[in-house]
Amino acid sequence: MIRAVIIDDERLARNELKKLLQDFPEIEVIAEAANAAEGIEKVDSLNPDLIFLDIQMPGKTGFDMLAELERAPNVIFTTAYDEYALKAFEVNALDYLLKPVEPKRLADALQKLQVEEDKDPISDHTISVNRSILNEHDQVFVKDGERCWFVKLSDIRLFESVGNYAKVYFGPNKPLILKSLNALEERLDEKVFFRANRKHIVNLRLIEKIEPYFNGGLLLEMKGGEKIEVSRRQTVKFKEMMSL
Amino acid sequence: MPKSGSKYYWWCQIGGWSFLALVIVLSAFTSFEQRITDKLIFNTLIVATSGLISTHIFREIIRQRGWMQMPVDKALPKFLIGIFLTCIAGSLIRILIGDLLKGFLNPVSPLKNADFTGRIVAMTAEYGLMIIPWTLIYYVYHYIDKYSKQQLDTLKLEALVKELELKTIKAHINPHFIFNALNSIRALIDENPGRARTAVTELSNILRSSMQAEKLETVTFEKELNIVKDYLALEHIRFEDRLQVEYEIDEDTLDQPIPPMMLQTLVENAIKHGISRQVDGGKVKIVSDFKDDYHELVILNTGVLNGNRNKDGFGLASTQNRLQILFGQKANFNIREVNGNTVEARVLIPVDLTK
Repeated sequence: MIRAVIIDDERLARNELKKLLQDFPEIEVIAEAANAAEGIEKVDSLNPDLIFLDIQMPGKTGFDMLAELERAPNVIFTTAYDEYALKAFEVNALDYLLKPVEPKRLADALQKLQVEEDKDPISDHTISVNRSILNEHDQVFVKDGERCWFVKLSDIRLFESVGNYAKVYFGPNKPLILKSLNALEERLDEKVFFRANRKHIVNLRLIEKIEPYFNGGLLLEMKGGEKIEVSRRQTVKFKEMMSL
Repeated sequence: MPKSGSKYYWWCQIGGWSFLALVIVLSAFTSFEQRITDKLIFNTLIVATSGLISTHIFREIIRQRGWMQMPVDKALPKFLIGIFLTCIAGSLIRILIGDLLKGFLNPVSPLKNADFTGRIVAMTAEYGLMIIPWTLIYYVYHYIDKYSKQQLDTLKLEALVKELELKTIKAHINPHFIFNALNSIRALIDENPGRARTAVTELSNILRSSMQAEKLETVTFEKELNIVKDYLALEHIRFEDRLQVEYEIDEDTLDQPIPPMMLQTLVENAIKHGISRQVDGGKVKIVSDFKDDYHELVILNTGVLNGNRNKDGFGLASTQNRLQILFGQKANFNIREVNGNTVEARVLIPVDLTK
């Protein structure tokens, strides 16, 4: 059973989607929201597997809403006519539906979602341990200006502190997000993400090389070629973690 | 540059120099000598012919070097040197032709080569009196010609741009609106079939009028208002309680002409930038009345004016243009924020009292 939330500012549009979803018994619509603020509240409290999200909404757009979520669920965008907004997603294989929604397209989108879930079965049982800690299979939504990405935490190799922002390194991209490194550290799984120094958090699974450095510190080379120094104090911790 | 040059050139050249020759001969007759001698006619003909030949050479140089295409400050020194050289050339040709002909007609008499430099200087000065006006006339004629051609081109271009702009504005109906409306109607089919039926009619009215709008310069305010009412009724299905609509229409303004789809575009903006951004929605109010000699249309909506996005927006910038193309400079359009939470778009169209 996939638990879904519909977020759209038009009641009729929500009703129409609910009606279409009646043909898919595996989808259970557990809540609706009429704007981004309500949406955030519902997603945070109900932790759905899937959201149907309208892009144009009063107050905040669907993109803004996603950027504010701690953990991005699977998202299917619904929009009447937003070619430009959807272009932001060309880099990500992510689905969207044009209103009025064609039932066949809806079936395809849900099918695609099912395939993704099967590939990655751990992701829908994240509720187990501690909800506030992000699992490496969780995905986050990153928005930097006009560009948007859904990123699996396991694909992020490095967080770098830049003033009040953090630069997120994944693939060839390094967008900025408005979060402090300390706040991120609290939310990240410490088995995977390691605070190398004051300015950097590294993904332990994406280290290419480890070399000794001055003063008994270490120098890590990440898969993307970035060289990160591990402070002396953290080096002790790092060695502890890595040794048997 | 056209190879052929002006078709009037030879007429002006021959006519001008003949006229000059005639004046010299006549003035000689009326003033001191009181008679026309063969020698005078002969000399005058040589003066005119040499002048014609030298200025023709001058003209060829001007055309080949493209002096007329240069800016004035660059062309001026070239023209001054050109005039001077043309005067000398004219004098030389005159002496050459004169001496040749004299030698030919009177082979017996010895050639008077005495004081060659003196003659050249005197003749150059004399030609200066003729060639400076010649150059002025030539320059002014071509300058005006060039200028009017440029103006014509600019006008043609402006007209084209205006036509294109008008076409684009008229055809402008937001696809976002159409698909949202269709989506709402599909939901209504089960929920409220009666309302769904009227909604289809309303949507067809809007689509039809937006298609017809391309053919028309103006429509009556009444027609446009009906479209806007249909449009707002459809948006009301979408927004439900979030959209309130109010009309304040002076019945006498219903016959006034307005550009098709103009009010529609403004109301669409009021929804798009105003109501749809408010979580709790808001109100759209349309006012139409006479104010002095103007038909005044005001569209008020809840919201704030989003500086750069609104003012430079295609719809708003072109509304002003379109009004002035159709109703002249007195027509006016402006948009501003009042009371902090309302945006007011105001259109003033001068009333044609002759109708």
